Amino acid sequence: MTALFSIRDLHLSFPDRGNKPLFGPAPRIEVLKGLTLDIPEGRITGIVGESGSGKSTFGRVLVRLLDPDSGQVLFDGKDIATLDEEAILPLRRDLQMIFQDPMSSLNPRHRVWRLIAQPLKRYGRGGTKAQATEALARVGLPAAFADRYPHQLSGGQRQRVGIARAIALEPRFILADEIVSGLDVSSQAQVLMLLKQLAEEMGLTVAFISHDLSVIRHLCDNVVVLNHGEIVDAGPVAEVFENPQSEVTRKLLSAIPLPEMDDDWFND
Amino acid sequence: MSQQTQHRHALEIINLSIALPNGVRLLRDVSLKLEPGEVRALVGESGAGKSMIGKTVLGILPDTLKITQGEIILEGQHLNMMTPWTRRKTVAEITALIPQDPLTALNPLRKIGPQIVDPLIRIRGWEKDRARARALELLERVHIRAPERVMQSYPHELSGGMRQRILIAAAFAPSPRLIVADEPTTALDVTVQKEILKLIRELQKETGTAVLFVTHDMGVVAKISQQVTVLFAGKVMEDAPTREVFTNPAHPYTRALIAATPSSADLDRPFSPVPTELIAELHAQVARDDALWQGKKR
Repeated sequence: MTALFSIRDLHLSFPDRGNKPLFGPAPRIEVLKGLTLDIPEGRITGIVGESGSGKSTFGRVLVRLLDPDSGQVLFDGKDIATLDEEAILPLRRDLQMIFQDPMSSLNPRHRVWRLIAQPLKRYGRGGTKAQATEALARVGLPAAFADRYPHQLSGGQRQRVGIARAIALEPRFILADEIVSGLDVSSQAQVLMLLKQLAEEMGLTVAFISHDLSVIRHLCDNVVVLNHGEIVDAGPVAEVFENPQSEVTRKLLSAIPLPEMDDDWFND
Repeated sequence: MSQQTQHRHALEIINLSIALPNGVRLLRDVSLKLEPGEVRALVGESGAGKSMIGKTVLGILPDTLKITQGEIILEGQHLNMMTPWTRRKTVAEITALIPQDPLTALNPLRKIGPQIVDPLIRIRGWEKDRARARALELLERVHIRAPERVMQSYPHELSGGMRQRILIAAAFAPSPRLIVADEPTTALDVTVQKEILKLIRELQKETGTAVLFVTHDMGVVAKISQQVTVLFAGKVMEDAPTREVFTNPAHPYTRALIAATPSSADLDRPFSPVPTELIAELHAQVARDDALWQGKKR
């Protein structure tokens, strides 16, 4: 199994503006404290943790929306952590992202086809309505949706448009940050099935950020559990779930409300 | 008939229908009962009308929606027969709400303290000191460590879990007999969700408050409720004890909802969204109902 990403000793901190002294720089809060891991190519890797564990921050470093303080982020052998904006530009198409809230990530003034076609144009890969319609077909939306506006779609359909926009560029890596947390169970299942199927067909590498371990278990091949910016558990999904190494993972697992009767659920 | 002699449900809804001004029904003949001390889950997907039922009970339905038929009976008192003023007073005395989004429910410009204390003074008519003491007691009860300091804080200074606990404290402070909890944990992490569910359950048991718990998560339903009403397109699909719903679901839609909820217990089972054929069939049923109803109206 080759690694698409090799992350070595990744550190990242944000200035703590709340505690900034009157003079001088604000103290820094460490968000990622030396992460080292590989993300295997062609697999879905789950990144899980409580709020504030640094999972979204880590995701944003992978697509270089955030610059790390130190450490290496090797994407296909190139260290994208230190590349300047100009040098990273050719790689941007390969690093795509699907956002949590499609209502705020899709421009409300644009029709669906334009939302999908614009990035294609930006990367010099066409940008026609026909291409957009084709991308829509791949996520199971009929061509009629091309002329709609985001507010005319349901939550699940909007998230499909987000997926269509990302895959239209034929990237090598997709970061999916909590993409189903706003959806109904039934549309949630549909979106996840679609993502899994597309990842398999296209040989995509996906990092799937979620706080819901039961979703991770169904969708992902590997999982990384973060807690306060450190890795507390990592490995193939089945292994981590059967034999969690850390208290944090066990706590996350036991907090899932399963759709079955369990009178002792609250007693621990 | 005197109200004392008959058995009093905490809440009884009989054949409730709600429609848009153009006549399209959003709730269709919904009936349910809630006993004192009981938690009833209202479960369904978006647009099923589950929040609308809660809003109708609290009398905070948008003005454009009209109750076309049905009765809402709070502790034996028929809300529809009251003047708006008495109805508001009755609802305020008996009920409280735990909302979904604590950030929009709390006034960002006011400190937490007065937001809990003021309703106690206004609705319960308590002295300021008594109301304050009660607020502190409840904040402590929901495991807020420095309640005095939190009372002096503004909502943005607190985390999502803290804010939700404050709203639980605020809801239980006036000792209501019925609480409508409208998806109170949807915005939260699983671990925080568990804490919040546990708190609601503990407080509800201690005080014997009835809870109408609106959620879309069958997992949450299994943990928190004793009775379930499953809704689809504003229509009741199944109404049964929770245990029965999970051991032996009667309606295909209930089974589909349970199957669509990820469960880490069985890894091999694939995701199964609610089948589109089932949804189409249910919509057809609802359309037939509506046609009948239109006919009856003429």
